[in-house]
Amino acid sequence: MRDRLTLSMRASHLLALVFVAAALALAAIGAASGDTFYLRLGTEALIFAGLALSVDLLLGYSGALSLGQALYFGIGAYVSALTLLKVPSFWLAMAAAGGATLVASIFGGLIANRVRGVYFALITFGLAQVVAKVVYNTRELGASDGMIGIPVIDIGFGPVSVSAGNPVGFFLIVLAIIMGLYGLTAYLLDTPFGRVLTALKANEKRVPFLGYSVWRARMFSYVLAGLIAGLSGALYPMLRGFVSPELMFFATSGNAVISVILGGVGTLIGAIYGSVLLVLLKSIIGSWTEHHLIVIGLIFMVCVMFLPKGLVGFIRPRIEERLLTGAKEPAAPSFAPARLEAGSAKP
Amino acid sequence: MKTTGYFAAAGLLAATALTSGALAQSGPIKIGVVTPLSGTYTPIGQQVRWGLELAAKEINAAGGIAGRQVALIVEDEEANPAVAVQKAEKLFQVEKVDFLAGTVNSGSTLAVAQLAERNAKLAATTVSFADSITTDKCSPNMFRVNARAEQQSVALAAWLAKEKPKAKVYYLGPDYEMGRSTVAAFKSSAEKSGAPTGGEVFAPLDSKDYTQYFGQIRASRPQVLYTSVAGNDTVRLLTQLQDFGLLTNLQVVGASGTVTSQNIGAIGQAAEGFATGVGYSPQIDTPENKAFVTAFRAANKADPDLYGADSYGLLFAYKAAVEKAGSTETDKVREALRGLSWQTPQGTKTIRAGDHQAMQPMYVVRVAKGKFDIIDKVDADKAIGPDACTRF
Amino acid sequence: MNALDYLQFVLAPQVVNGLALGVAVVLVALGLTIIFGMLDVINMSHGEFYAIGAYAALALGAAGINFWFLLVLVPVLMVPLGMAAERLLIRPVFDSRDRHVTTLLVTFGLALVVEDLLKVAFGPNTQRPLTPIPGATELAGIIVPNYRLFLIVVGAAIVSGVAYVVYRTRLGAMVRAAAFDRNMAASLGVPVALVYAGTFAFGVALAGLAGVLLAPIYSVFPTMGRDFILLAFTVVIVGGMGSIWGAVVAGLLLTQVQALASLVISPVWTDPIVFGTMVAFLVFRPQGLFGRLGHA
Repeated sequence: MRDRLTLSMRASHLLALVFVAAALALAAIGAASGDTFYLRLGTEALIFAGLALSVDLLLGYSGALSLGQALYFGIGAYVSALTLLKVPSFWLAMAAAGGATLVASIFGGLIANRVRGVYFALITFGLAQVVAKVVYNTRELGASDGMIGIPVIDIGFGPVSVSAGNPVGFFLIVLAIIMGLYGLTAYLLDTPFGRVLTALKANEKRVPFLGYSVWRARMFSYVLAGLIAGLSGALYPMLRGFVSPELMFFATSGNAVISVILGGVGTLIGAIYGSVLLVLLKSIIGSWTEHHLIVIGLIFMVCVMFLPKGLVGFIRPRIEERLLTGAKEPAAPSFAPARLEAGSAKP
Repeated sequence: MKTTGYFAAAGLLAATALTSGALAQSGPIKIGVVTPLSGTYTPIGQQVRWGLELAAKEINAAGGIAGRQVALIVEDEEANPAVAVQKAEKLFQVEKVDFLAGTVNSGSTLAVAQLAERNAKLAATTVSFADSITTDKCSPNMFRVNARAEQQSVALAAWLAKEKPKAKVYYLGPDYEMGRSTVAAFKSSAEKSGAPTGGEVFAPLDSKDYTQYFGQIRASRPQVLYTSVAGNDTVRLLTQLQDFGLLTNLQVVGASGTVTSQNIGAIGQAAEGFATGVGYSPQIDTPENKAFVTAFRAANKADPDLYGADSYGLLFAYKAAVEKAGSTETDKVREALRGLSWQTPQGTKTIRAGDHQAMQPMYVVRVAKGKFDIIDKVDADKAIGPDACTRF
Repeated sequence: MNALDYLQFVLAPQVVNGLALGVAVVLVALGLTIIFGMLDVINMSHGEFYAIGAYAALALGAAGINFWFLLVLVPVLMVPLGMAAERLLIRPVFDSRDRHVTTLLVTFGLALVVEDLLKVAFGPNTQRPLTPIPGATELAGIIVPNYRLFLIVVGAAIVSGVAYVVYRTRLGAMVRAAAFDRNMAASLGVPVALVYAGTFAFGVALAGLAGVLLAPIYSVFPTMGRDFILLAFTVVIVGGMGSIWGAVVAGLLLTQVQALASLVISPVWTDPIVFGTMVAFLVFRPQGLFGRLGHA
């Protein structure tokens, strides 16, 4: 039996397919023209899309705005960098980064999930600030300079191996990982347990009466989001060969929030589109003015106020309609877990 | 769909990049500038840009480099290494620049040095003064034409030993890598010349209020206060010291970035008497410098400071190297830059081959009536310190 | 260092200096807690309104207007700005179900824009108005600049004045009524829309006033709005959102903790201490020291 949530997820998946097709086309054009820069920029946009995805999982599904998600992105990046400096193994670095962010997000979740709403935003903001400050002052982690000299690794898949320095190869690997994370998240949200998360956003007070633990559901989504951010962050030093404390700063978290708002809250795929859109906006605006914050800030405000479901939220209902008429079902208003309005105004 | 436009644009740009790469030898020499034009370091980035633009204008007016015009391509790096690397890669890969300059904070400089290596291009910094850039983290593809922390502290300590022998020094640094290394560098120079240490404290970057350290400072009764805070932090530190009446009978000395033309206006009276070891002052009394200061003022309605002057001088080093090498190829230009001596408004600079650090005469300047008066000078070879780079 | 020296040079001045900083923090937090407590709006651009106040004082001061007059003029000029911000940005999203997050996001966008606009208008360099009251007073070996003494006195007066208006006047009662139950207040004839706009503008004006007062001490630059924001939010949460006395107590306590802690541990760790206090309050006493104003 298909319900509205399944329907809107299907629409998201369709957009995800379009995205992958477009990305593959870019890879083909890039490979044919011998381009390096745009492929690597696209790879970076995908890595930050992973961070945005984790912000959307929290904001769009359990209604929790994280202003410090870069914390886990940064932990993933640093642990991956430290591992690669010792052993240049892709799988080991990913495992270490995943493990570290898992532990860190459990700790963070125990603190942050004691509170709701705006207090959650302030706590996540503060947590990231404090850890970033500690990293900024720790000599063993390169302090304010960060760490350079992370080798260009070979990523082995059984008999085949791809160099992280190969623009097309690494782009495709990152694309596969980020879309894999997207798929995994979408799958988990579609399980009965994932439905509890969506219910949280709609009406948190009622969830316990249905026999579910609110805390456990929130904790689960927090840790999953931390893990997604950490695994995305682990890819960063492989691409750029260094890490710096700026990766944990508010600017990074803020960009992820902006990406999610631009792309569409609660759509998952919107976070990925939004991230690419933001990179594109920044490079276009950045080339004609250094005052890009004014333009991005204005676009952001307009999105929050007049387009609360973002780009994908604008497009998706049209796709849903098509899907519905295709299946000859009666037209129903689209289900929108994306709504910012959900949740209670007062803590 | 937004993405299709993006891909089409990417394809087009990639195509143009290829054609322009093929024409590069006859077209202008492209120099990339990756410098902070937004965020905390904006004022420094502005000086870097002004200095480079003035030099490019003068070089072009005089016939360019080996007959080719110079074109600057400026990108904002937001004082963030992650952005700096992205922009630098764009300049290397898409714009096919021959040379890169402009990074300010040492994190960006180090990250860009690594990127230059991986792209087989050359880059230079005219601002970062962390010793590590030309010592333990030196790179064969990175050059530094400004004075590093050790050169500054040697010059300053030599003057201090003459001016206030065996004076007790208190150290106040910003708590991050640069702050700690500049304090350590000056402390070792000062202690070598017999100045006892009264104490040291490291305040967080962007501290609002420095008064919480004043008690400790007063209690140790120092004659000299060394500080390596910069930008807004200096404004607060010095004016708060002044408000508390602590500047009387206290000689404040500091790093070259502590009091600059960007913040001296805001510090006002509290900057009077501040002394530092630095590679440049607009007061240098040579015809070259006077011409430079006049031209800089005319172009930018502001005085040049060390960042502007070092950036200006860099392009002339590059010009000399390219003309000597007869090419813009990385290996040939690198060879030509090594050991190169050239004229700048600051006097003759020489790039030491062993670590790519420029040697230059160092000045001790003291603020009097809002200007940096030169009160002492240390020869280039006395200030430079040993070559500690082992990578090449 | 002997004990007397330590007391006279280190401990006692630390407490006095902490007091001046505490007053500064309270002044910034005051407007924030009023907007937060009464309108239930998170104003992330509060720091930027503080910066606008400081720049206005700088520009008008340079045009020859007397500092004492600016103390009145700048807050008055901030009122229409606050009204406009409320009308254009807050009211359209005021009734969304998650007001906190939506207003936080909108004002975050506004903060980005204002910061950059200030840079366009005034340039990136730091500037500073001259200290209106120069000199310092020495009391039992403790040096306190006269302007800081003035700040402490004026700060106390401003806080008392605001508290009087909010808690003791008819206007304040209307505002609190509107905050407590909007429909009830409206049916009793309180012009709710105007009260909301007025309250927001009042908070903005207070931020501007803080800017005028603090500019001579902390100087003026485009990113100055970020300076106090984490500390101010902490003060609001620890004090209890909307509680004026809570903000005062929390502001003074937290800055004292910071000042004294920096004597024994590396100053860099004072931020985590402040943050830890905020977390502890959120976890164990989310209503803060004094609870919400609307419910007081």
